[in-house]
Amino acid sequence: MRKPPKVILVIALTATLLAVLPIAYLGLRLFEGFDRALAELLRFRTLELLGNTGLLVLAVSASALLVGFSQAWLTTRSTVKFASFFAVLAALPLAIPSYVMALGYMSLFPGFSGFFASWLVLTLATSPYVFLGVTAALVRIDTATDEVARTLGLGRFQVLTRVTFPQVRPAATASVLLVALYVLSEFGAIALLRFDTFTRAIYNAYQGSFDRTSAAALALVLLLMTLLIIWFERRYRGLYTASPKALGKRLRVDLGSWSWAAMAALALVSVFSVGIPMASLLAWSIQGSASLDLPMLLDALWGSVRLASLSGIIISVFATAIALWAVRYRTRLGAWIETLSWATHALPAVVVGLALVFFGANITPWIYQTTWMLVIAYLILFLPNALAAISTPIAQAPKDLEDVSQSLGVPANRTLFKVVLPIAFPGILAGAGLVALTVLKELPATLLLRPTETNTLATRLWDATEDLAYSQAAPFALLLVIVAGLPALVLNAQARKALSEVRG
Amino acid sequence: MAMLSMRAVKKSFGDFEVLNGVDLFVEDQELVAVLGASGSGKSTLLRLIAGFEKPTAGTIELAGNEISSVSKVLVPEKRNIGIVPQDAALFPHLSVSQNIGFGLAGWSSKAKAARVAELLEIVELQEFADSSPDKLSGGQAQRVALARALAPRPAIVLMDEPFSALDAELRTRLRLDVKAILQKEGATAILVTHDQEEALSLADRVAVLRSGQIVQVGSPTEIYNSPVDIGIATFLGDSVLIDGEVKNGKVVTLLGALSPLNKVTEGQVGRVAIRGENFYLLPNPKGEGEVVGQVFFGHDAVVEVVTKGIKIRARSNGPFAPEVGMRVSVWVRGSVNFYPG
Amino acid sequence: MIKKAITFAAFASVSLAGCSAAPSVVENSITAAESATEQPIAEKTSITVYSGRKESLVQAVIDQFTTDTGITVEVRYGKSAEMAAQLLEEGDNSPADVFFSQDAGALGAVGKAGMFIEMPSEILGLVPSEYSAADGKWVGVSGRARVIVYDPDKVSEVPASVFDLARPEWQGRIGIAPTNASFQAFVTAMRILHGENKTLEWLKAMKANAVMYPKNSAILQAVEDKDIDAGLINHYYWFAKGKDIGVENMTSKLGQFQSKDVGNLINSAGVGIISDSSAAKSFVEYLLSKTGQQYFVGETSEYPLIPGVVAGVELTPMDQIPAPEIDLSDLDSLEETLDMIRESGLI
Repeated sequence: MRKPPKVILVIALTATLLAVLPIAYLGLRLFEGFDRALAELLRFRTLELLGNTGLLVLAVSASALLVGFSQAWLTTRSTVKFASFFAVLAALPLAIPSYVMALGYMSLFPGFSGFFASWLVLTLATSPYVFLGVTAALVRIDTATDEVARTLGLGRFQVLTRVTFPQVRPAATASVLLVALYVLSEFGAIALLRFDTFTRAIYNAYQGSFDRTSAAALALVLLLMTLLIIWFERRYRGLYTASPKALGKRLRVDLGSWSWAAMAALALVSVFSVGIPMASLLAWSIQGSASLDLPMLLDALWGSVRLASLSGIIISVFATAIALWAVRYRTRLGAWIETLSWATHALPAVVVGLALVFFGANITPWIYQTTWMLVIAYLILFLPNALAAISTPIAQAPKDLEDVSQSLGVPANRTLFKVVLPIAFPGILAGAGLVALTVLKELPATLLLRPTETNTLATRLWDATEDLAYSQAAPFALLLVIVAGLPALVLNAQARKALSEVRG
Repeated sequence: MAMLSMRAVKKSFGDFEVLNGVDLFVEDQELVAVLGASGSGKSTLLRLIAGFEKPTAGTIELAGNEISSVSKVLVPEKRNIGIVPQDAALFPHLSVSQNIGFGLAGWSSKAKAARVAELLEIVELQEFADSSPDKLSGGQAQRVALARALAPRPAIVLMDEPFSALDAELRTRLRLDVKAILQKEGATAILVTHDQEEALSLADRVAVLRSGQIVQVGSPTEIYNSPVDIGIATFLGDSVLIDGEVKNGKVVTLLGALSPLNKVTEGQVGRVAIRGENFYLLPNPKGEGEVVGQVFFGHDAVVEVVTKGIKIRARSNGPFAPEVGMRVSVWVRGSVNFYPG
Repeated sequence: MIKKAITFAAFASVSLAGCSAAPSVVENSITAAESATEQPIAEKTSITVYSGRKESLVQAVIDQFTTDTGITVEVRYGKSAEMAAQLLEEGDNSPADVFFSQDAGALGAVGKAGMFIEMPSEILGLVPSEYSAADGKWVGVSGRARVIVYDPDKVSEVPASVFDLARPEWQGRIGIAPTNASFQAFVTAMRILHGENKTLEWLKAMKANAVMYPKNSAILQAVEDKDIDAGLINHYYWFAKGKDIGVENMTSKLGQFQSKDVGNLINSAGVGIISDSSAAKSFVEYLLSKTGQQYFVGETSEYPLIPGVVAGVELTPMDQIPAPEIDLSDLDSLEETLDMIRESGLI
């Protein structure tokens, strides 16, 4: 077995050590006040939170699956009109942070709060993840299986449930896992919509009674819940892995007279997920345009763009190193490190933020409240996202080319840089874009760790929501959506490319 | 009574006419190969029979019942047909047994299990019963696809280029297997293919499809020996075309006077199609032909010879084949088909 | 980036300001500070302030401080409780020199963790003791009174106690903002002064009687619009609105409960010093100088806490408010309050 270059080892190990920090922090806090932590966990309130959080996770997962799968199926496998237009619309909410969506609704409907509000907003915000995941899987299905099933006696709807869905189940399950993790760790929207889940309770325990031990105890429960969900997904993911080949002709199901109903349904979802929040933000922005502080807006824009692009690049470098290690060298340690980075993904950003405040201020004060601290936080939070995006292109770079390169006298490590990385580069770039998009939208860790006097669109937006100053918040929200829309367009282009394959 | 009857079936997609009046009859327990080049409308023909497409004109009957017409198309699931797609298209989320039993809804679980076991035995894949389809080789997957299609005892099985994704050796072996399986099941089947060897070796009858019409139907030997036109003749075998004129009942060509297989009229001008195996090469330092190329296959070889300004490709069997640069005399053995015009 | 430019301008102007008309109070206070610390230990020219007060509210006075003293101030803005939580996590290594909080509870939490230095007695002495920490860890900067805003057409007599609002006759007539931090601080005070049971009972009654609003200004607007008859707010919202539309056009009035009722709670925004330096002290002194105090009176209509600064004319003088007696540092048990508000069903 070959050994990876030292630089890769160093980068990957650093990332791993960083990923362990938040868990170490939790351990420290719990160790410090074990009795109090236990008392916190034994309160009835913990059970209530468990119920609330579980209910929200289940409800949002189910509805996001239904919405995302329907959108994916209708746009890739049915004859619905304007399919590619609807596909773009379906992915568009990716550019709208869920707290911005929440803000859009709250500012339009006073009293928009609680379970239903949280469920609606999070469903709309997360269904694009299911849509994209399922779309990618749907276009890989050999549609000949549908026809075979028809000749073997299945009607159209039965084909959908017995042949099509089972084939995209692994992709759908993985997407739903993302959705569930998203809901578990969601902070901004839930805080605005005032539904008591673990993240909100952790935050309240922390800033309400300044009790870090109870906060840590609740965070631990949240961590366990997340691990449970990941385990569940691994267990029930499905028996087979979808083949990457896309053989045969793609066929679309003729909806006939249902075509109009399908269009109406697709349009309705987009009205809710994009139309209403954006219209609301636009209206408030116009109202607030008179009192708009332009330098402040530009300063925040610069802050956001700078942080997002810097983090996008750095995190992609880390992810590339780990992916190379795990995929190209296939050592057990490499694979283990990859898994570990997923486990940390479970922690809500609030906890990661607090852990880094603690370690930063007390152990590494020289980088505390610098941009680098924030980059580290983003690294811990979003490394798995980058890994997921970057592992695939690296795994797909043909192994034969490496052998050819080495036979031509290029040493293994240089081959990596001369052959593998250039081939995987477009995929790595897409990964960087994805990370940048996520960083743009990140809120709680940014609030805690940003350098003093650095503001981003997200933090300015958050400040303004404190006194429900919608007209002040709206321009920041609008600009954030526009900036986040750019990387989202790249992702959208990938979705469209997948769609064009279907039509061909 | 024919199991399947297609009468004057037409199919257009927009302005593009794919099938232009197809008549095709398949008898019970017969295997008919529809032979055509790509783009000839073979797949459309199958999709019409399966009910995935609606004809623009004409009717299709299966076991005496009309299943497709311009006004009415019976849905695929009610037709009692089986299909074997090009790349098997096994359900990736189901095991081999589950794939085979997929169409046996409504059977008792005992009957179902027995039927699946029976088919597993016929296709000789008992040990793969519980495997996932991705564990199968291409040939095995096709056998499962065939078993799946046969399981509900369909009125007819439609096979769409079922061997095209396989390598040559496997293809030959699987053909024999498939023929045997179909015979054991007593199944009626249509096979569409662009591979003349496949059509000729497998089918009871071959129908040649060209430009949306069936231009010739017959037994493999009929089709091979008596192609009705020059197009079929070149399509069916490695033929060389040489100008000739009918004189005294023979066709006079640069390579000599040849006996025609078909009926000819005195004084007709046209071309003869001579297959590689009809040439006989005799090494002769003074011969008029010169060997310019040779492809050696082991059991035989194809030898390219230029003689009298004509380039021919001769199939030379036996251990001896002339080598490049040798001079040869060229003879034509046996009769040839003459096509006027 | 922009901040840097402002700081630079401040440096430039301070040399000029030396001979211009800088307020005499400020000069005095600086001298006082310097004489207090005999040997100034490593004179800082820059401090970091964690501010729980809003940027739009306090940045102007901080800029003025920089202009007047040449001390640059880096400000980290956030909600008071968030800032306090961050300070606690940072512990001794906090980069913050000063914590400027809008709420006494957050100051209390940081003070109890032992992170503030003892506030110099000459600074503590500037402010009446009830508006600072009992243990002298932080000092109040401005006062904000809980009041009842009412429509004089509908309410002829202000009830004697906030507990009277629990009576059935108030059903549908009173507005509260249960998610608002000031309301929650008031509930905390009620818990401390009257106990958990009585407070929960009151909250449950309010669940039946009160109309919920997201914030104080919405309550005020609702009273002005005659949607409701009265509401519980902080006093300065009324004056902010008055500035906006003219006090003479306000139809609502502010009232007080009687005899040290908890409904009359006066909370203070205040500061604590984390890292001992003369610059930090100068900052606190500046906030308590006439200039600083006048700023809060003028900008925010809060109560000044030093003698000699005149509150807005319409304000009931603070010493005439029958405020409850409580150590404001004890208002730091917010989570218990939140739990109780949740239990009552108000949020």
